[in-house]
Amino acid sequence: MSSERELQISPIVQEAVMNNSKTLYNLQSLTASLFGVGAGILGLESYSGFLFYVVCSLLTTMLFYVLRVAPTSLPSGKAAFDASRYFRSQFEFWTGGLMNGLAGFILTWTLFYGLVRA
Amino acid sequence: MAQVPVQTIHRDPQLFYWILFPITAVMILTGVLRHYATVLMASAAKKLDQKTMREQRSLLHGINVRGNSHALSKRSFTARRDALITAYESGAYLKDPERRGQAPPNPMSDPSSMEGMMGMMKNQMAMIIPNTLIMSWINAFFSGYVIMKLPFPLTIKFKSMLQAGVATKDMDPRWMSSISWYFLCIFGLQPVFNFLLGSDNAASQMAQQMGGMAPNAGQMFGPGVDPDKQFLAEAENLAVIEHYSVLDGVEQRLLEGIKV
Repeated sequence: MSSERELQISPIVQEAVMNNSKTLYNLQSLTASLFGVGAGILGLESYSGFLFYVVCSLLTTMLFYVLRVAPTSLPSGKAAFDASRYFRSQFEFWTGGLMNGLAGFILTWTLFYGLVRA
Repeated sequence: MAQVPVQTIHRDPQLFYWILFPITAVMILTGVLRHYATVLMASAAKKLDQKTMREQRSLLHGINVRGNSHALSKRSFTARRDALITAYESGAYLKDPERRGQAPPNPMSDPSSMEGMMGMMKNQMAMIIPNTLIMSWINAFFSGYVIMKLPFPLTIKFKSMLQAGVATKDMDPRWMSSISWYFLCIFGLQPVFNFLLGSDNAASQMAQQMGGMAPNAGQMFGPGVDPDKQFLAEAENLAVIEHYSVLDGVEQRLLEGIKV
């Protein structure tokens, strides 16, 4: 009862949450395709390519946090690396990019690997 | 460990210009076309007559009063609740009050309900027809070519999928034929469409399938649902609410929030 009550005192607007996650999704899928271009031109294969993808997308999320989330989230009393001011689920914020962009990454990776190397 | 020699296949560079780029371009253009076809085919929301509109809106009114009861003061909530319950139980908002208690008409015979089904059919068609066409086009023109090498190794199971139409036994499953490039395009072009058409586009069939899973909001007033029963259920829901206001004890919270 108490948590429901807190939600009613400071409600969460569904549209704003959707807009936030859509913005994040767009950023992640676009950058994933660009990482694919990079990995293809570098000629990375198998594990090193996927490692490149994981590192780069985590770096993107990190930059997103530092540049967009942290400036307003830290003064409002949230702990560092806590994105709950704008996003519902921490897990989704930090690792969602890995799943969202994977298909686009593989497509452009294959394309540019094929164009440059093979 | 013994190094497995890397297979190399010499391919004509013209393959890229005559197979890879046509398939990619066709996939992108089909996505754009599908988006605009969906936009054009979307039928405008049908105008409802006044009685039907009143029936639906008054039910929504009850649901909203129930959902936001905490924002109302005790007195105004009680007044709203009593008025709504009386109206619901007497059937004042019903479209045709004399038909109360009768079985709802068969949804198949109602012409207005066919519209919704037609819309769904149209969307399905816009998805299925281009896919079938492109698939048979690729099969007819480009089958049997090996065009690219995947940058990551795969197990032998993928061979039949990736190298459809290339019956070479010892070829590494990393080599892919044109039909598998088509599949990669299906899954991976979503970011491109997001970039080209804005993020809520109808280009990708993946997104459409996801959207199809979401529960349909129009279902509430769908055909075959008896509005009288809905009203009675809503009256009951309203009656059992234990009302409180968010403003209860607000002075206490304010004083706690002020740091001395």
